[in-house]
Amino acid sequence: MNKRTEAEQKLEQVLHRVLTGLPPRRAPGTLESRVAGELARRALLPWWQASFASWPIAARVMFILVCAVLGVVTILGGVSAYLGDRSFEEATALVLSWAQPLLTVVSSAGGLLSLLLHVIPPLWLYGILGVGAFLYVTLFGLGAAAYRTLYLAPSSAGDAS
Amino acid sequence: MRAYQDMVFSTAARLSGSDTQAEDIAQEVFIRAYEHFSDLRSSVTAGGWLKTVTTNLTLNYLSRYRKRWRLFSEMRSSAQDSEDDGAELDWEVPDTVLADLSAEQRSAIVDGALRQLPDHQRLPLVLYHFEELSYQEIADKLGVSLTKIKTDIRRARAALLPLLQTVGGARDTLDG
Repeated sequence: MNKRTEAEQKLEQVLHRVLTGLPPRRAPGTLESRVAGELARRALLPWWQASFASWPIAARVMFILVCAVLGVVTILGGVSAYLGDRSFEEATALVLSWAQPLLTVVSSAGGLLSLLLHVIPPLWLYGILGVGAFLYVTLFGLGAAAYRTLYLAPSSAGDAS
Repeated sequence: MRAYQDMVFSTAARLSGSDTQAEDIAQEVFIRAYEHFSDLRSSVTAGGWLKTVTTNLTLNYLSRYRKRWRLFSEMRSSAQDSEDDGAELDWEVPDTVLADLSAEQRSAIVDGALRQLPDHQRLPLVLYHFEELSYQEIADKLGVSLTKIKTDIRRARAALLPLLQTVGGARDTLDG
């Protein structure tokens, strides 16, 4: 066993003795009244303002059923209103007619990108990628530095006992 | 409630490093205990239940902030880690610390020193020494690697001892 391991084991034992030998912290005298006050406030709330888990069983079942029915009615109503009394083929054509402009936009964007890649000199592209990578790394570094400076620095943020 | 309030408050305060947060957490713990009163009233494990709920609530409370910063806190380079791991304790570890002080004085000094540790060191240290969880249990609870837990606890101990010696020594001088 090397010297470092021995020192670390001794440190662990010494600190463990100190920490486990401490009495518990004394709770603030206001804690009991705070809890009682909060319980009284919650007891005065009507059941529908309490958490869902504490609702009466019948109310919970009814709520879930109503939500399910409303969901189904909304979806079926929306689909029905949109398609009307069209046949399956007509409905499919209608949906595809919505997708067509989207496909056109994607295709145009691809064409534009391909054109740019041919027009712009490769050196420029590498430069743009390099600047992007540099900005990414710089901002990441700034974030890390801010974290280490503002957050990790040992603070006396704890409250005075 | 009176029988357990000090234990609940202590656990929350030492984990969170803040009395204000600890009081909020303790309040929530006792409200949950009230909701389970019929189960807990006759249970011999009520103390354990309260301690577990307190620990979990405190970790949930802190994780709202911890998740935000986990990326940065764990991105130390492996080179830096290995460099730190290789560093030897450059001071002699004493046989006892704060032994000549009263329990209240020791408690005040230790709690003050714990508050000076960053969350990622204080949390595993408190879970290991106060809650007596294993390294693996702490790693599971905090959702970080076992290696990081061991490293953080070792660094926390190395940071805590000088704090205790400095403050304890100053207190001795003032008292003397």
